[in-house]
Amino acid sequence: MLDMTPQSRVEAFLFREARLLDTGDFAAWLELYAPEGVYWMPSQPGQTDPLNVASIIYEDYPILSIRVQRLFEARALVLTPMPSTTHMLSNIEVEEGDDGIVRANCTFLCIQYQSSEQKTFAGRQSFELEPVGDSYRILLKRVDLVNAGGTLPLITIPF
Amino acid sequence: MDMQEIPTTDEIRDFVRPHQVHRRAYADPEVFKLEMERIFGRMWIYLAHESQVKEPGAFFRTRLAQYEVLVTRHTDGEIYVLHNRCPHRGARMCMVDKGKSQLLNCPYHAWSFRPDGTLSTVPHKQSYPESFDMADPINHMQRVKHVQTYRGFIFATLNEDPAPLLEQLGEMTDIIDNLNDRAPEGEVELSESSFTLEYKGNWKLHLENAADIFHPTFVHSSSVGAARRAPQNASKIDSDQTRVMLEANGFGVQQWEGIQLKGLANGHTYMSNFYSKGVMVDSDEDPVMAEYKQQLVAAYGKEKTIETLSVDRFNNIIYPNMVLNAQHQQMRITIPLSHDRTLVRVQCFRLKGAPDAMYHRAVRFLSTLASPASMIFSDDVEMLERVQVGLDRDDSPWVDFSRGLDIDQTDDTGAVSGVASEMPMRVQFKAWVEMMTREAA
Ligand code: FES
Ligand SMILES: [Fe+2]
Repeated sequence: MLDMTPQSRVEAFLFREARLLDTGDFAAWLELYAPEGVYWMPSQPGQTDPLNVASIIYEDYPILSIRVQRLFEARALVLTPMPSTTHMLSNIEVEEGDDGIVRANCTFLCIQYQSSEQKTFAGRQSFELEPVGDSYRILLKRVDLVNAGGTLPLITIPF
Repeated sequence: MDMQEIPTTDEIRDFVRPHQVHRRAYADPEVFKLEMERIFGRMWIYLAHESQVKEPGAFFRTRLAQYEVLVTRHTDGEIYVLHNRCPHRGARMCMVDKGKSQLLNCPYHAWSFRPDGTLSTVPHKQSYPESFDMADPINHMQRVKHVQTYRGFIFATLNEDPAPLLEQLGEMTDIIDNLNDRAPEGEVELSESSFTLEYKGNWKLHLENAADIFHPTFVHSSSVGAARRAPQNASKIDSDQTRVMLEANGFGVQQWEGIQLKGLANGHTYMSNFYSKGVMVDSDEDPVMAEYKQQLVAAYGKEKTIETLSVDRFNNIIYPNMVLNAQHQQMRITIPLSHDRTLVRVQCFRLKGAPDAMYHRAVRFLSTLASPASMIFSDDVEMLERVQVGLDRDDSPWVDFSRGLDIDQTDDTGAVSGVASEMPMRVQFKAWVEMMTREAA
């Protein structure tokens, strides 16, 4: 991987994240996050404040690990049967900062299928990535849904 | 069974037995129409909080029975509830959930209205006939006649001759008072934060679930288990609040035995002793709580502060559409759309004058409990939808609510029971039958 450009290295990393979610390897997905890493899905378009405005998800690694535990838990009713998903990423843009942090953003489409019902989620994701070896760890992942602020369906598998 | 026929008053009475309810109460569109007419169309219905329409021109869009309405604040400070429909040719007027504007404009032929619904201007006035009267209410946005506020909570009714609001609310004003009393400045503000979730099920299912303290052990076991296995105080962003909340749905015997259920007239219910016996008790070492308590003592004195904070009532259900949790400044509103579709709007309050960190906790509570990605409410919603799917079939028409029937007690204020009883649902259905069979005023 050493001869890869930052663009293709980030793409490989993001595609791997999407694949881990699609294949249900949530334990490996969680390990893409730094110990202080945060997953943020704002409830409002353009939201800047996670403390004074409620978020759909605003969780750091320890809380995310509870979420992942629950994905494995046989009794999680809303995950019975387990949804199957396709995560698609596109329009990936990568920027290397002077601070050593790599910032990336992309659009996404996620199809989720469960109990003969199919749902579509879409929006934009942005990342702050810390380079580790020839890969990365996620410091911050922000997911802005196109329908943030509207009436939303339940969200089970992360995007 | 023919689902098209409008049930008679006698039939409605027969839907509710002491320990059973007929599935048509949930699954029949004709019953739903009657509910809109006789419950949501005749009772006082909570619509919005004053803090959502703070300034003149501010408006908030919601529903009252089957109608879309705007709650507005007029230039003189008065609050109005207007049907969101242009009196000219009937166009839906406002297309956003909230906003502020000194005039409400209809985009079709540009009639414009003041926040009290009166007509301000019509273009090409000269072409209207002599008889066209701008001051005639027929040309105004139609007002809901009866609007009343109780300590910031705005209620309205389509009933021409309603009973007094306070009579309908009964003892439940206590919990609205308690919520306000918890603010050092004696007032609360509804925050910008809110989620609206739609579930495919009848509106009553949400109220039953909110009154059902028997289910968490089963329905929420996945999040309870995951939280129990997680290390304490590991998160850096929420002082362990999420983990503690998730874990709190797994009751021990001690908490189970402490909780008491209360059922009142008009379908109101609540649970008490929820926190005192170990479910999310306030810790004395918590610096945020300590600062907050000091503020309350400074504002109200020690005695009143202890009295306010010791009110230990959870899921206060103000029938037919509100669930209030004063301790954590949370509110859920049930908005029926059809017999099998319901919106739940979840919101939280800011205690005016309390530390910011208190408010951050309320916001966090809101997300953890009821965001669309909640590890708690998502499992509730899943069950509500499964119940509706089951009830939509008619092979077995009766729903059972018998648990606790022989051991419930009644005192002079209402029904009292232990945690295992389905008394709250029986209380809700008692009110439901009364409202559904009452002669129109
Ligand atoms: S329909 Fe509103 S102005 Fe004509
Ligand atoms: Fe629940």
